[in-house]
Amino acid sequence: MKFQCHVLFVTTTEHKSGSTTKMAENPLENFFNTQSIAIFGASESEDKPGFVIAENFINNFAGKTYLLNPKGGEILGQPVYKSIMEIAEPIDSAVIIVPAKYVPAAMEDCAKKGIKSVTIISGGFKEIGEEGIKLQKQIDQIAKENDIRIIGPNCIGLFYPKRGLDMVFLPERKLKRPTAGNISILSQSGAFGSAFLDIMGSLGNGNYLSKFVSYGNASDINEADILEYFGEDPETKVILAYLEGFNEGRRFIEIARKVSLKKPIIVIKANRTEAGAKAVASHTASLAANDDVTDSLFKEAGIIRAYTWDELFDCMVAFNSTLLPEGNRVLVITDGGGAGVMASDTIGTLKLELATISPEIVKKMKEDLPPYFSVSNPIDLTGSATAKEYLYSLEQTINDPQVDAITFIIIPTPPAIDVKTLMNGLKPFAKSIKKTITFCAIGGAEAVYIREEFEQMNFPFYPTPARSVYAIKKLTEYADYLRAHGQKLPLIREVPK
Amino acid sequence: MTEKNIPEPFATAYKEGRTFLLEHEALKVFENVGVVFPPNSLIKDVNDAIKFANKIGYPVVIKAMSPKILHKSDYKAVVIGVNSDKELEEQFNDMKERLKNFDLEGILVEKQVKKGTELLIGMNIDPTFGPVVAFGIGGIFVEAIQDVSFRMCPTNKDRALRMIDELKTQKMLNGFRGLPPVDRNALAEMIVKISEIAIDMERYIKEIDLNPVIANEDGVFGVDARIILKDLS
Repeated sequence: MKFQCHVLFVTTTEHKSGSTTKMAENPLENFFNTQSIAIFGASESEDKPGFVIAENFINNFAGKTYLLNPKGGEILGQPVYKSIMEIAEPIDSAVIIVPAKYVPAAMEDCAKKGIKSVTIISGGFKEIGEEGIKLQKQIDQIAKENDIRIIGPNCIGLFYPKRGLDMVFLPERKLKRPTAGNISILSQSGAFGSAFLDIMGSLGNGNYLSKFVSYGNASDINEADILEYFGEDPETKVILAYLEGFNEGRRFIEIARKVSLKKPIIVIKANRTEAGAKAVASHTASLAANDDVTDSLFKEAGIIRAYTWDELFDCMVAFNSTLLPEGNRVLVITDGGGAGVMASDTIGTLKLELATISPEIVKKMKEDLPPYFSVSNPIDLTGSATAKEYLYSLEQTINDPQVDAITFIIIPTPPAIDVKTLMNGLKPFAKSIKKTITFCAIGGAEAVYIREEFEQMNFPFYPTPARSVYAIKKLTEYADYLRAHGQKLPLIREVPK
Repeated sequence: MTEKNIPEPFATAYKEGRTFLLEHEALKVFENVGVVFPPNSLIKDVNDAIKFANKIGYPVVIKAMSPKILHKSDYKAVVIGVNSDKELEEQFNDMKERLKNFDLEGILVEKQVKKGTELLIGMNIDPTFGPVVAFGIGGIFVEAIQDVSFRMCPTNKDRALRMIDELKTQKMLNGFRGLPPVDRNALAEMIVKISEIAIDMERYIKEIDLNPVIANEDGVFGVDARIILKDLS
């Protein structure tokens, strides 16, 4: 069986007008809170997706799992049913991993059994051309006649760590699963989505993921449905999306307008040249024949747009792990003159402001610190810095009302800085902090150690000054958007245990 | 084309097999919803032109209205800065003569507005997002400058104001080189109206261009207007 993780032919060129009347309950609810699941195509060969998925469910799923394969037998001590009709109990959802040509038969079985929520992992549909399009129409027809909702085909399906609902067919030894947290992800591309999961799983304590949906060809449930569900889901506090095209672009924007007032939506919209140039009669049309329309409409809807993998990662960490700023005045604390200058440059380029520390705080710090330290912005602790002075500088400025955000940049190499003391001294801040802060350490082994410590504290860490300032910029833009729309700033960051 | 009950001026345009409205027709569509244009009139006779010009005051602009001309600058079908009866007589007759093979419906005589900031308001049907309204820096260099932002149609005033704030060249809007700052409120209202026309007339309108829209000390005026029609067949 061939698994096509990368979706090729999903973009539709027809726009669908406005939102239609939606059902009272989002269809995704039944997918995520299913009590029982049938796995069509469970396999006993350990290197097959059908095995990995069966194993995931047997080991972790909070509901009942039924394995199906015409060969019958046993997998990991669980019986394998040859036909769904051998199962007496009712089943409310299914995941299908059989080769494309057998999918319609599996769908018929689901219909007979009264299953209403089906995820089709198998590839070989619309993305392969004419033959696949025919097959996809066939499954759509079966779904329509039997009120079945579909995720996929050609996707990696759902992952919901809290309930052990894991359709990711990539084995744990290859892809480290994140554990339960605040972020939910929708991804058109399975490969992108799974790689991002792996990164999240390997980050800090791994507590990042609420829900994940890879929706592939979106024959039924699409990006707009998923965004709507995540918007209403109380467990989801940050939404990440990877999109290459839209099935319902207009509805996506309309939903995003509402959702973005409650929680941040960070989106990569790749395939930026898809609109392409066409022969047009008006100036407007020639201006609109590019990615600028997407850019503008994302701004309109309060969507935070990331253009690269790095930006998506940087935003994810920022929104999940620090607070939204009350304004745009940034303070830089560092022991490296160059790092401070570069951070200041980025603050200028991104149209943030260098904060002016309150005079009484400056006065006190000047009295307490050696005269060769520069107490302005950046606060430059120089190569003579110690952990104690770093901590002292943060303590003094952390509650300054003239400072909206701090970026804390450590060059760990000066001889007097004991990084262990520094990191231990920062731990109490992780419990009490009330201000936007980003951290950066530049260097080798000690910088790696520092990064790991920050991740454990659930603080946002960046490998360069520019990225640690960029993160503040994105937080500021979103906070500005919320204020302009009369909204309070949501508190997302969780205090580490 | 068998569709009935097409409103004017669209019906005439379709009947004549055109893919766009003539400017004087487009002006009617815009003026119906309160978009402001300088005083104007479609005129066939030079004496009527002089009479009208005296009523509205010089300088005036004259533009040839021809079903065969979409891009007027390609045919020198626009003359600006006409300052007297004598000049108007010369230019009017010259335009009529030069373009006599272009089925002229008449010549649009329009009061020339004072110098101001040249902007663009438009509408396009995006393949992904449907009708979107555009606002940007206008004039003849629009495609080179490419400073434009978009909103889904219909939009509202708050969104339109934010859209104006999103232009990169805010300097151009805040009173550049002795020009007064643009009236953002009036512009936002105009953007909203264009976005509403796009939805009300969605059946017929494919693209809209108001370029330039001139923002000057007297207000905000559409100066050149274009409506491209959908193919109904």
